[in-house]
Amino acid sequence: MIIAERKPMQEILGMTAGMKKVLVLGCRGCVAVCSAGGDKEVSILSSALRLGRKMSGEKIEVLEETYVRQCDPEYLEPLRESGKDYDAVISMACGVGVNFIADCCRGVRVLPGVNTTFYGANLSSGEWKEMCAGCGSCVLHLTGGLCPVARCAKSLSNGPCGGSVGGKCEINPDVPCVWQGIYDKLTYLRQEQNLREITPIRDWRPAGHGGPRRRIREDLLS
Amino acid sequence: MVAEMSISDPKIIAFCCNYTASVDADALKAAGLVSENFELVRLPCTGRLEVVQILDALDNGAEAVFVTGCLVDECHNLTGSRRASKRVQYVKGILEELDIDPGRVEMFFAGRGETEPVVEAAREMKGRVTGMEPIHK
Amino acid sequence: MIAGSNLEYVLSSGEFAVTGELGPPKNGDFDVVREKARILRGHVDAVNITDCQTAIVRMSSLAAGLIAMAEGVEPVMQMTCRDRNRIGMQSDILGAAALGIKNLLCLTGDHQKFGNHPHAKGVFDMDSIQLLGMVKDMRDGKRFQCGEVIKNYEPRLFLGAAANPFADPFEYRPVRLAKKVDAGASFIQTQIIYNVDKFARFMEMVRDLGLHEKVYILAGVTPPKSLGMARYMKKFVPGLDVTDDVIKRLQDASDQREEGINICVDIINRVREIPGVAGVHVMAIEWEEAVADIVSRAGLSARPEPRGIEPCLISSGTIEEVVSKAEEQIRAELEKQVDQARTEAAASRDLVTKEKEKAAGEISELKSQLDRLKDMADREEIKQKQLAEELAKTRAALEKARGVSEAGMVCKSIVEPQGVAAEAAPVSEIVSGEALSLREQRALQSINKGLEALRKILGLTEDQLEALKSFFEAEFLLHMGEGQPAAAASAVPEPPRVQIAEPVPELEEAVEPAAEEVAAAEAEEMSVEAAIEEEAPPAGVAEEPMPAGIPPCPPELSPDEWKRKWVVRLTARGNVLLHKREVQEAESAFRQALKIDPGYEKARTGLERAGKREAVPEVPEEKPASPEAEKEVAPAVEVEELPEAPVPESEAAPPEEKKPEAKRAASLAVEAEGVEISTLELAEEAATLMERAGSIPQDMIMEPASGVIQEVVIGDGEKALTVGGSSALPFHLFEGDMPNSPRIAYEILDMEPEEWPEPLMKYYSDVASDPVAWAKKCVEEYGAEAICMSLVSTDPNGVDRPAGEAARVAQSVVDGVDVPVILWGCGNADKDTETLREVTNLTGSKKVCIGPPTDVNYRTLGATAMAFQLPVVAATPIDVNLAKQLNILLENLGMSLNQILMDPSIGAAGYGLEYTYSVMERIRLAALTQQDDKLQVPFICNLGREVWKAKECRLPSDPLMGDQERRGIMMEAVTASTLLLAGGELMVMRHPKAVSLTESLIRGMM
Repeated sequence: MIIAERKPMQEILGMTAGMKKVLVLGCRGCVAVCSAGGDKEVSILSSALRLGRKMSGEKIEVLEETYVRQCDPEYLEPLRESGKDYDAVISMACGVGVNFIADCCRGVRVLPGVNTTFYGANLSSGEWKEMCAGCGSCVLHLTGGLCPVARCAKSLSNGPCGGSVGGKCEINPDVPCVWQGIYDKLTYLRQEQNLREITPIRDWRPAGHGGPRRRIREDLLS
Repeated sequence: MVAEMSISDPKIIAFCCNYTASVDADALKAAGLVSENFELVRLPCTGRLEVVQILDALDNGAEAVFVTGCLVDECHNLTGSRRASKRVQYVKGILEELDIDPGRVEMFFAGRGETEPVVEAAREMKGRVTGMEPIHK
Repeated sequence: MIAGSNLEYVLSSGEFAVTGELGPPKNGDFDVVREKARILRGHVDAVNITDCQTAIVRMSSLAAGLIAMAEGVEPVMQMTCRDRNRIGMQSDILGAAALGIKNLLCLTGDHQKFGNHPHAKGVFDMDSIQLLGMVKDMRDGKRFQCGEVIKNYEPRLFLGAAANPFADPFEYRPVRLAKKVDAGASFIQTQIIYNVDKFARFMEMVRDLGLHEKVYILAGVTPPKSLGMARYMKKFVPGLDVTDDVIKRLQDASDQREEGINICVDIINRVREIPGVAGVHVMAIEWEEAVADIVSRAGLSARPEPRGIEPCLISSGTIEEVVSKAEEQIRAELEKQVDQARTEAAASRDLVTKEKEKAAGEISELKSQLDRLKDMADREEIKQKQLAEELAKTRAALEKARGVSEAGMVCKSIVEPQGVAAEAAPVSEIVSGEALSLREQRALQSINKGLEALRKILGLTEDQLEALKSFFEAEFLLHMGEGQPAAAASAVPEPPRVQIAEPVPELEEAVEPAAEEVAAAEAEEMSVEAAIEEEAPPAGVAEEPMPAGIPPCPPELSPDEWKRKWVVRLTARGNVLLHKREVQEAESAFRQALKIDPGYEKARTGLERAGKREAVPEVPEEKPASPEAEKEVAPAVEVEELPEAPVPESEAAPPEEKKPEAKRAASLAVEAEGVEISTLELAEEAATLMERAGSIPQDMIMEPASGVIQEVVIGDGEKALTVGGSSALPFHLFEGDMPNSPRIAYEILDMEPEEWPEPLMKYYSDVASDPVAWAKKCVEEYGAEAICMSLVSTDPNGVDRPAGEAARVAQSVVDGVDVPVILWGCGNADKDTETLREVTNLTGSKKVCIGPPTDVNYRTLGATAMAFQLPVVAATPIDVNLAKQLNILLENLGMSLNQILMDPSIGAAGYGLEYTYSVMERIRLAALTQQDDKLQVPFICNLGREVWKAKECRLPSDPLMGDQERRGIMMEAVTASTLLLAGGELMVMRHPKAVSLTESLIRGMM
């Protein structure tokens, strides 16, 4: 899922400075699951925003709403018109939602309420971890299912660097060395051959370095 | 000037769990506090308390909010007061981000049916916000 | 030898190598690097120059390496993957190689988190192993990472890598080392070793893999500078195993530095014993002074004499030395010079005194001479005065005389006899090219003036006058060629106005309005008459006797030529006289001509006519005159074959109807000009490119293509056309083959055109309402090789003719002609799909070419085309990528590329032609030189419709813009020729004359 976290309040206060009426718009997709932009977070942000404005003596009307998703056009339909009633719509969806509102709803000013951070898994309540970098050319079949692109600090393709000690990454002892994990997994799976073969230089175009990415499935096109 | 305004009679809201809400107006009066300034919200358990409730309390008139729950290891619902404590902590973080003194919210723990710690908490919170710049001008 | 570096020499000689480490400064201080290099010089075989070690910004390893090299220390340039992508790294590698760097250590690099810019974006485009592979391939495979060939000067580098025996997983470390060796490492430097036992176990595994025989392994050592440093390394440097023993030794030591060096030496001595260790890498970071000590205590101080160091910078020490030496030399030289100057000065002082005395004597002598001369001068002056007085008297007398005599000439002849002589000199003496050209000019002026008069009388338009003028000029020049010897007579022609005035009344009377004729006679008259009448026979020039009445032959001509010219001239004169009704004179002129050349036909007919008292021949004379002029300026006039070129009816037309006449003149001008363009251009092709290139080697001028354009067949049967197939840029026949020359299709519409300008429309007005007749006319009358029918009537925004109906019309056209037919939709994707589907249903598998599928309807239209195996026109809006994408889409659909003609979208000249050109050029270059097979498709250029909607083709004729038709033809032909040069294979055009001009260009170029 896409992981996000609320932007610092000062940043949100800054971007809404002088505004009289805003809509805090949540999303029940990924950001709700990772407790960054669902109904609860919408109410917290709205309340905090009112409080912050109260302290500075400037009134603000903050309305709250949460859509099923913000990345499908049909859900954004009502916002096309209603969005114009606000000085701004603070979207608490991931960056996709913000962009999509900007694209679909002309005349609506949309602001980001969260920082979209990574594609991750929910390790336990309140803890999420990056697992995928969306690099567009998956090598997980060669690495025991563990991603060196997303989970190695240097995105190494050919084994652990000299900083891997005791299964930990050199950049932070809290970070496990994914190459140690790959080594263990491949050894367990009797696929050591993968560790001996040189992985050639990667083509980074599918990772977005070839320009914005797009996917088309012909059979679904209308 | 705003900065010169200060709170003399702050409104304070207390969220108390069923087991720590034994305080009443008399007890407050006995402690020399103006009971009308206090509003007590009784919850079955502070574990039920939501972050937004504390924020809304501040937004809706309170100059300070405190929460009283069971002693950490003696919570009737095992982890209720611990959860509440974390949420209070989270609210403090938001207040800090908003440049509001995080001391305006606090978590207190009290034994079952004990009045004194709750009265103390009320006194403490009044002391804290007296003299601060008011939220509600 | 791979790179011939000193390190490589030492290692390959089997000597135990010692390398050091030099950390460049965190500033731009040259001297820091120099000092460090000097400290290390002589104690190590090579020095690693770190590349922003621990991600702290420092002087670049390349720059610092060059400074070290200037100090006689061989650098091992380190390169990390953290800060540069493959573009930057390869660039630096080329630079390093160019500057003499021969060793490269390939590293992944410390994470930027550790450095002083933790906010930086780490690049990590690749890892160290991939870097090794990349550089090795640059060196051995002579290829950039992208596969492009490095033509020469590939970077010759001795490649190294790092290995950390102490990092985890321990068992995997030798395997990873093997990967580095496989990728291209020739030497390995290990992480700092304190735990020798563990290193020994590591080496055992390395030996088990046989790596010690494939790669030189240098054991990394570092003297701990202090106990604090040792503890820090143990605790905070990941992958560094500082043993408790080392800590303890330092703790116990009275002098920690001394002990640190001892520890290091002990480690060196121990690792030397481990089989497979080829050397040590001593990393005395910020403690370079210790290296000399360590190396000598380890018994390694006798380093081999360095080889292969080729510094490109000069060490400042060397410079100082050279400078001081030079200074000394110069000083000595100067001193010597000063001494010499001194002695010389003394000697010359003596000489001067002597000379002075001598000079004093000479001066007195000269003075006396001067006095004598002065006397003489005085006497002369007196004499002059006397003479002046006499002169004044004479003048007075003369003045008087002038007063008496009215003819001042006498006096003048005395005063300026020379000037008179010059004026009186016989005209014939002045024989020069200047006089000739002057005469020509005057004659031309006269013609122009005459024409001006004619214009007034006949009320000719500017255009008509222009046409007449060009005609006369041609005629005139033609005759000048014959009449050149007349230049010998430098006579000035009579004022032309008088001569022109004469024929005017006749012209007014004449039924025949052919103004050309009259003026032609005029031109002839002018040059000829003047020449004959005023010819002054120069005495003594002729060497060969000439028949009576002919001046002597000028030396540059043969007598026969001279005679012929005179015959022509006399005949012309006769004609002129005849025209003036001076029959007798005319007869005598003709006779004179016949006397010289009795066989001259024109003179004879002139004589006959004079006998019958006829005027100058009328119609027949005019025809030969104009084609003759054309031929002279422009041979091979194809346009002439066109039906409307000759205008016989205009001759019979009454004088009031001058319009067709003018049109003809205009078209003549176009013809002349058009053909002039082609002949001029093509004449230069006489020498082949190779001849013109001279000694320039072929590979410098030729860039043969590596790709070939697909051949696309349109139409079926004998008249089928094949386009494309070239393996060279357009008309670069010296580089490759162009098996099929570009073709031109005539465009017709499936309904009567509404907005075709008249000069275009007039060719089709008889057939415009019937597409079949139209197509037939194009084929039968204009020789069209293909027809492109635009289905404009189907446009939903216009007539919106139903698809079925339009399809039937298309079918009748397809069946009505035997040449290939291209059916071009109206541009509305949906409607085109519908129409063309209907068409193909009717025409079946007959090979019509249909189009254009766009990115909107390519699927449906492509499917239709595929069903019948028809070629299609793939239209995209002037964009390389879109063009390619559409080809790919069509190919994905199952079409073959040899069924596609690309329409890049055309802009007419002045309307974006350069944009089209550039896109076509890029497409073609990609197809031919970059093996971009998806672009190896011929172009179709539908240019006629673009040209003829341009404003320039619609504005009527006016003096500023010239003739409308000519303008349009040129617009279309120029657009077509440009597109041909850009690679266009199939042109769709409208005007028959533009087509024929373009065809002649193609023929000429092939």
